[in-house]
Amino acid sequence: MQIAIETLVGGLMLGALYALFGLGLSLSLGVMRMINIAHGDLIVLGAYLCSVIMQLLGVGPFLSLILVVPLMFVIGMLLQSLLLNRVVGGGTLSPLLLTFGLSIVLQNVLQETFSADTRSLQAGDLALRGFHLGGVSIGLLPLLSTVVSVVIFAGTNWLINGSHLGRQARAVADDPATARLVGVDDRNFFALITGFILAVIAIAAVLYGIRTPFAPSSGPERLLYSFEAVVLGGLGNIWGTFIGGVIIGVAQLFGAKVSSGLGPFFGHLVFLATLLARPDGLFRRTQR
Amino acid sequence: MSDFSTMIPEAPKVLRITLVLPVVTMAVCALLIALPWYSSFATQRLLVEGFTVFAIAMAWNLLAGYGGLVVVGHQMFVGVGAYALFASSNWLGLNPWLCLPIAALVSALFSLISSVPMFRLSGAHFAVGTWVLAEMLHILTLNTTWLGAGAGMPLDALGGFDRWTRNAGVYWAALAAGLGALAIARTILRGRLGLALMSVRDDEPAALASGVSVRIAKLSLWVISGTLTGLAGAVSYMNTLQVTPDATFSLNWTAIAIFTSVLGGIGTLEGPLVGTLLYFLLREVFADYGAWYLIGLGMLAIATMVVAPGGAWSLITRRWPIDLFRVRRDMPKL
Repeated sequence: MQIAIETLVGGLMLGALYALFGLGLSLSLGVMRMINIAHGDLIVLGAYLCSVIMQLLGVGPFLSLILVVPLMFVIGMLLQSLLLNRVVGGGTLSPLLLTFGLSIVLQNVLQETFSADTRSLQAGDLALRGFHLGGVSIGLLPLLSTVVSVVIFAGTNWLINGSHLGRQARAVADDPATARLVGVDDRNFFALITGFILAVIAIAAVLYGIRTPFAPSSGPERLLYSFEAVVLGGLGNIWGTFIGGVIIGVAQLFGAKVSSGLGPFFGHLVFLATLLARPDGLFRRTQR
Repeated sequence: MSDFSTMIPEAPKVLRITLVLPVVTMAVCALLIALPWYSSFATQRLLVEGFTVFAIAMAWNLLAGYGGLVVVGHQMFVGVGAYALFASSNWLGLNPWLCLPIAALVSALFSLISSVPMFRLSGAHFAVGTWVLAEMLHILTLNTTWLGAGAGMPLDALGGFDRWTRNAGVYWAALAAGLGALAIARTILRGRLGLALMSVRDDEPAALASGVSVRIAKLSLWVISGTLTGLAGAVSYMNTLQVTPDATFSLNWTAIAIFTSVLGGIGTLEGPLVGTLLYFLLREVFADYGAWYLIGLGMLAIATMVVAPGGAWSLITRRWPIDLFRVRRDMPKL
C-alpha cells in the first residue's frame, strides 16, 4: 500500500512535467492546426542551451533561465516566421514533413556540437533532497516541477480564455480567414505563439535536465509523451492536457513496477486503450 | 490559338513512347534478373538495399500520397515482417525464402489488427499514433526473451547456403519486392481502388456522397502497404543476417521513406523511384561526412517542402507532361 501511494504520488509529479512538455504541442495543434514533430528535440535543445550558459557564466540551472527563456522565445519567433509559416494552414502533411526534417537536422546538429554522450544539469543537492509526509517520501525537485507546471498551466489558461490575446488565438483557431478580416494578422500571431511555446519549453527543459540525463537522441521520446498528454486530454482543452500528462506519468511509473523496462510501454498502452474508448480524448471541448 | 498549335505535335510523341516503353521495360528487367552473373557481391548488396528501400518508400507514398494516411511509425511493418521471417525460419527450421510468404501473411494480419485502434485516429493524431504503436512493439521486442530481447536473432538457416546462392537469392527476392511494389502500386492506381482513393484524397465528403466506401478503400490500402513493407523489411534483413529491436523498429526506416518520397515527389509513382535514386546517389557521395550528411539531407527535405512541395518529379512534369507508368486518367472521348 505504502509503495502504491508512493508510486501514485511520483507518477502525478512526473506527469505534471510531461504535461508541461505537452502544453506547447497543445497550443500549436489547437491554434495553428499543425503538429511539430521537432517539439521533443526543441526540449532537448533548451536543455543543452541551459547547460552551455551554466558553463559559460558559472550559474545554476534556474538562474540560466534568465537568458535561455528569451533566447528560446526569439528562436521560436524566427522558426515560425522564417520557416513554419510557409507551410502552415495547408493541411497536415506539409508541416508534419517539414518539422520531421527539422527534427533530424536538430538531432544531428546537437550530436555534432555536443557529442552523443548524455549529460545532465547540476543543481547542487536539489535533485536529492526530499521530505516525508505521512510516511510517503516526496522529492523536492518533483514537487517543484509540479508547482511550476500548475502555475504555468493556470497562466496559459488565463491567457487563452481570459485575455485579449487569447480571444485572438481562439478566433484564429476557429476561422483564420475571418480572423484576418477583423484585423488579426495570423502569421505574426503564430510567430508570437511559437515564441511563447519555446519559452515554456525552456522552463520544462531545465526541470527535465535536472531530473533525467539527456542526449541529442532523447527528443522523439519527449515528443511522444507530450503528444499523448495532448491527445488524451482532448484537443483545445488546456487543463485536459495537464490531466493527460498526469495519466501518462502515473501509468509509466506503475508499469515500471510491473517490469522495469516496461514503464513507457504501459504509458503507451493506457494511451491507446483510452483512445479506443474515446477517440477525441477525455475532455474535448464540445463543438458549438 | 498558340495553345492549340503547341498541343498538336504531342500526339505522335506519346505514341512513340507507348511502343518503345514495353521493349525498354523488358530489356531492363532481363538485365536486372541476370545481374548476379556479371556483378560483384558489393553491387548486389547495394541493390538489395536500393530495391527494399524503394518498396518501403513506395508503400509509404501510397498511404500518404494517395490515401491521406501519413504514417510516422512505418518502421513497425518493417519490424513485424523481419521478425516474422527470422522467427518462423529459426523455429520451424525452414528455408528462409519459403518463409517470405509467412512474413507477408503475418504483416497482413498485423496490418488488419492494427487498423482497429489506428483508424480511430485521423490526421496528425493518426500520424503520431502509428509512431506510438511502433514504439510499443519496439519496447515489447526489447523485453521478449524468446525473440532474443535486446540482442535480437540471427537467421540460422542462411548459413547452410554457399555465398553465391545466398547473395543471388536475396538479390532476386529484393528485385521481386521492388518490381512487385511498382506493379502493385500501378495496378491499384489504374483500378477501382485507385479511383476511389483519389476521389477521397481530393474531396472526402463528395466521395462519400458519391457512394465511395472510404473506410474499405483506406483499409485495403493500409493492408496492402503494410504487407509490402513487411515483405521488403524481411528481405532487407536477410541481407544483414541479424534482427535487433533497435535497428528493426528504428524511426530511420520512416525517415528514409519520407526523404525519398519528399525528394522525388509525394503522390506520384515516379516520385519514390526518383527519390530512391537521389537518396542513394547522395549517400554514396556524402555518407563519409556522418552527422553533417544527415543534417544536409534534412535541410534538403525542408527546402523541398518549402520550394517545390511536389518534389523533383514535379520539376520535370512542370516542363514535360510525362506519365511514365500511364496511371493518369483522361476524360472519356465523346
